[in-house]
This record gives sequence, structure tokens and C-alpha cells, in this order.
Amino acid sequence: MLSATAGAVRLDGQPVTVEQRRAFGYLPEERGLYPKMRVGEQLRYFARLHGVDRSAAAARTSALLERLELAPRVDDVLETLSLGNQQRAQIAAALVHDPTALILDEPFSGLDPLAVDVLAELLRERVEGGVPLLFSSHQLELVERLCDDLVILNHGRVVAAASVDELRRSGGDAYELHVQSGSDLDWVGAIPGVRMVALRRGTDGDQVAAFELGRADAE
Amino acid sequence: MSTGVAWWRLVAAREVSTRIRDKVFLISTGVLLALVLGGIVIGGLLGAGAPAYDVAVIDRAGAELVVGTEQQLRAQTGASGAAVTATEVVDEATARAAVDAERVDAALVPTGDGYALVGRDEVPPDLFAAASSALSLSVLRTNAEQTGTTVQRLTAGSMLIEDVTATDAVPADVVSGIGFVMALVFFMTSIAFGIAIAQSVVAEKENRIVEILAAALPLRALLWGKVAGNSLLALAQVLAVGVVAVVGVLIVGDLGTVPAVGVAGVWFVAFFAVGFLALASLWSVAGSLATRQQDLQATTVPGQVVLLVPYLVALSGNDRAIEIASFVPIASSMTMPVRLVAGDVAWWQPVVSLLLAAVAAALLIRLGARWYERTLLQTSRRTTYRELLRRPTGGVPRAAS
Repeated sequence: MLSATAGAVRLDGQPVTVEQRRAFGYLPEERGLYPKMRVGEQLRYFARLHGVDRSAAAARTSALLERLELAPRVDDVLETLSLGNQQRAQIAAALVHDPTALILDEPFSGLDPLAVDVLAELLRERVEGGVPLLFSSHQLELVERLCDDLVILNHGRVVAAASVDELRRSGGDAYELHVQSGSDLDWVGAIPGVRMVALRRGTDGDQVAAFELGRADAE
Repeated sequence: MSTGVAWWRLVAAREVSTRIRDKVFLISTGVLLALVLGGIVIGGLLGAGAPAYDVAVIDRAGAELVVGTEQQLRAQTGASGAAVTATEVVDEATARAAVDAERVDAALVPTGDGYALVGRDEVPPDLFAAASSALSLSVLRTNAEQTGTTVQRLTAGSMLIEDVTATDAVPADVVSGIGFVMALVFFMTSIAFGIAIAQSVVAEKENRIVEILAAALPLRALLWGKVAGNSLLALAQVLAVGVVAVVGVLIVGDLGTVPAVGVAGVWFVAFFAVGFLALASLWSVAGSLATRQQDLQATTVPGQVVLLVPYLVALSGNDRAIEIASFVPIASSMTMPVRLVAGDVAWWQPVVSLLLAAVAAALLIRLGARWYERTLLQTSRRTTYRELLRRPTGGVPRAAS
């Protein structure tokens, strides 16, 4: 969308061309579809904008709506749908042209648990079909379930970037130590093999130290 | 895979299909067509254009003369709906008082040597001419009978009829009326559809759909699609108005003016299309500068001014100003048809004017596309025209090619 400030996007080692980029599926942070357009009509329109022919656009739209359990609403005007269903329609719009790569910003937010499972399954199928998927989420258990590699950002800075397995290995076990006395817990971090993650005051006035034990050191 | 996609056609088709299902659009178009048809039919039935006079008379001879005057008026003006009615009053003083109080249009009072036709500020010239003919004819008839001959024999060979060499000559008041209606139709339709384009653009920004669109197709194609779709709709509406107007004239039965106005009408449609296209991409810019519908009040001002000024020139009736404006792109769409209806234009003038407008349209569409691309993805705040002119590159987020 915007010019890159640094770095490059490569596909199979080559810089991505405009045509390739247009074949991506994109779910922006700012959600949006035409509020006055019917759901099915809208999805067919997006498919056709991506170069899918008329009949294929219709077929994919109905298949996708069926999958996302939105088929009964195909002829409803988008703005009459519940927010959860609008979110499903939004995801369908990102998937309807069988994208060659998926870039989804918070695809699971606003979905009920059943829809989360449906979408997770759908995305897994696409990935198994060879479509790379890049998505962001605050739901860490989902990230762990779905991702191969992950990047953790904290205030715009990369804090960790590795495969899930590597992070799990390097992270070791995480603990929280709750102490009711008013004393300081700084000393916990000084113990060899302990990596302090956070020091804070708990809800009931406890002192809390969150720390990890690196596996190698703890043995 | 997506290089062969005719994006602009898809976008245009969506604009059209969304718009023709929009209730507000349908109702306003229906009301417009009903107004045009109703205006012409009701105007025609009420005899608008056909004169109607009420004349006070004080004796039977006066009343008979009024009947003759009506026949003459119909013959002279060619308006079968022309009417002259007699109102009998008791004496000359009452008749004059009725004229002065505007209860009647004129009074026919006997003088020693014939009649006087009394008006308040003036006597309508067509009424005077008709009454004069009617009186001569009636006196002639009486005198002819007395000498044992007939009017026909007495007046044989004396018929002088009026004719004109221009086959497409149109009465002056009809000319100015039709010309102004054409200017008004362009003005109103351009503003209505122009603002619709701006609204359609800003709605995509407000609904945040513009990011998805920008990822799928070139912004330029999005702009062209919008311009094409809305121009088509505007043209269709103008043609519908034209068809309804012709139908209205046919109902009223005053066919004489249709062919002459028809030629100007064809030119008008051509000027409409080019003039509307010239402004269409700038209306999109008015939309892309805004971030919310409310911003449009400010961002559409330049477009409205660009239309209002030539419209006022067209209404001014100042021939020199209209002539100059008829060669200025966009302004020509409102002023050249006015001149063409009047019929005093060399053939090359509308051609040159139309070419100039077409060149301007091509340049403005390019400029509009560039501005549109620069401002469309700025969704956090309104961009001003000043910023647009000041910074030719950068400043606002720019779509990656």
C-alpha cells in the first residue's frame, strides 16, 4: 500500500511485482466493505476485480459463504448483518480470489469461538495448499496452534523472531512468584538461570515476579 | 493473471448498478422527469405562449368585434389557444376604470370615427394588430354588402403573408427559454452527479474499503470507472429529460419548434458529455480530499463555483459575454447551446469549441487522476487544495505504483 521505508518483499527470491502483489489476499486493520451492497454481490465483485471470471467468482463466493456459515445471508445487505457476520464477510472478501499469499491483520478478532475454529481450519487448508500466510494476533494460544514462525513486536520493536519450536525451547518454563509481604523481589532476577520477565504489583496487593527458567541452566 | 482485467468497466458497472437501485436517486429522477413533463403539458394546456386577453366592451358591436379579434389573433400568432374574451360594462368610464384597476387587459370604446383600444400602460401589440384587422374586416364587410359585392372580391390579390427564409427560425422568446433550460439542465445535472461522484469516493474512504481496493487494482482504474459510470448515468438522465420534453411537446401538439431545437439538442448532448467529463475527475478529487461526508461542503466549493459563474453568464443575456464563454471549456457547455438555439452561429464555432472542451477534458482527467492518487489514501485528515498545489510530490501517503 505504502512505499517501504526499509527492506524488501521477495517471492521465491525475486522482488514482488505489482501483478503478484495484486493476487495477494489482504485483510487490513481498518475493516471495510460496501455497507449497502449485498454480501454475495460484494464478494463476486471483489473476485472479479482480482481477475476471476464471472462463473468462477460465483462458484467461489457460494463455496466460501457455505464454509463460513454465511450462506443464508448471501442476498442480505451487508450493513444488516451482525458485527460477527460482517467480520466473516470481510474475511471472505480477502479469500474469494484464491490468493497466492495471505496478509491478514487480526483475522480472529471479533469472531465467536466456533467461527475461530472454522477460520483456523480454513486457513490451515490454504497453507497446506502452499499459500504463505502472514497474520497478526493478540490471541497467543491461536498463534501457537497455527504458526510455524512468529515475530513478537513490543512497541514497534522486534522482541523475538523465530520458529514456534525454537521460541518454546529457548523460552523454557515460565513462572510467577507471588509474595504477600511488602518486601522487594529484585533478588529473584539475580539467581543464576533465572531470567526476570516482569516485576509488578498484583491485584490483591501482592508483589509478583514473573520469570523464566532457561531449561539448560535449570537442569 | 490480473493484467487483462478491465477494472474500470467493473467499477463503472458497480457504480451504475448501485446508483439505479438507490431509492433517493430513483425518486429524484422520477420527480425531475415528472416536473419536466408536467411543466410542458400544463404550460401548454394553460396556453402559455398562447396569448389570452380580457377586453371590456360597452355595446353589442364591441362584443362582436372582440369575437373577430380573437379569430384574427389566432390567425396572426398561429396559436390555436389564443383567446380574447369580452366583458360587458355599462359605460366608457367604467370600462376605463376596469382597465386602470387591471380587472381587464384593455377596453374597446367607440369614438366618433371608429374605436379606441385602451390599455393601462400600453396596449399589447398583438392585440392591437388583431383588433385593427378585425375592425377593418368588419367595416369592409359592411361597406362591401352596401355596394353589392363581397369582401373576397374587394380584397382579391391583396393578401400579404409573413414568411422567413430561415427554415429553422424559432420565435425569440422560445429561443431564450429553451437555451436557458439547457443551461439549467447542465448546471443542475452536473452539480447533482458531480457531488454524487465525490460522495461515492469519500464513502469508500469512510468505509475503509479503499485500502482493499488499492490492494486489488490501480487507483487510476478506480477513478476512471467512477467517472465513466457516473458520466453514463448523467447522460442517460439528460437524454431521458430530452425524450420526456419531446413527448410533452407532442402531447401539447406544438410541433413547430421541435426540429429546429432538435439540432441544438444534439449539440447540447455532445457539449454536455464533454463538459461533464472535464469536471468529473475533479469531483473525484473533491471526494478524495475529504475524509468524511461533512468535508464535502468545503471540498466541492471550487467545482460549484466553476459551474455557477458560466451559468450566471448564460442567464445574463449579455451577448458578448456569452459569445466569449462559449469557447471556454465547461462554460461552453452552458453557453454554446444557448447560442445554437438562437441559430446565429457559424458551423465551425461549435466544432472548435467542442474540440477545445475535449482537449481540456483530457488534460483535466489526467490532472484529476494524479491528485486523486495522491490524496485517496490520506484517511486521517482532510487535505486542502492549497496543499495539493503546493506539494507536487510526497507529503501525503502515496500509493506504491
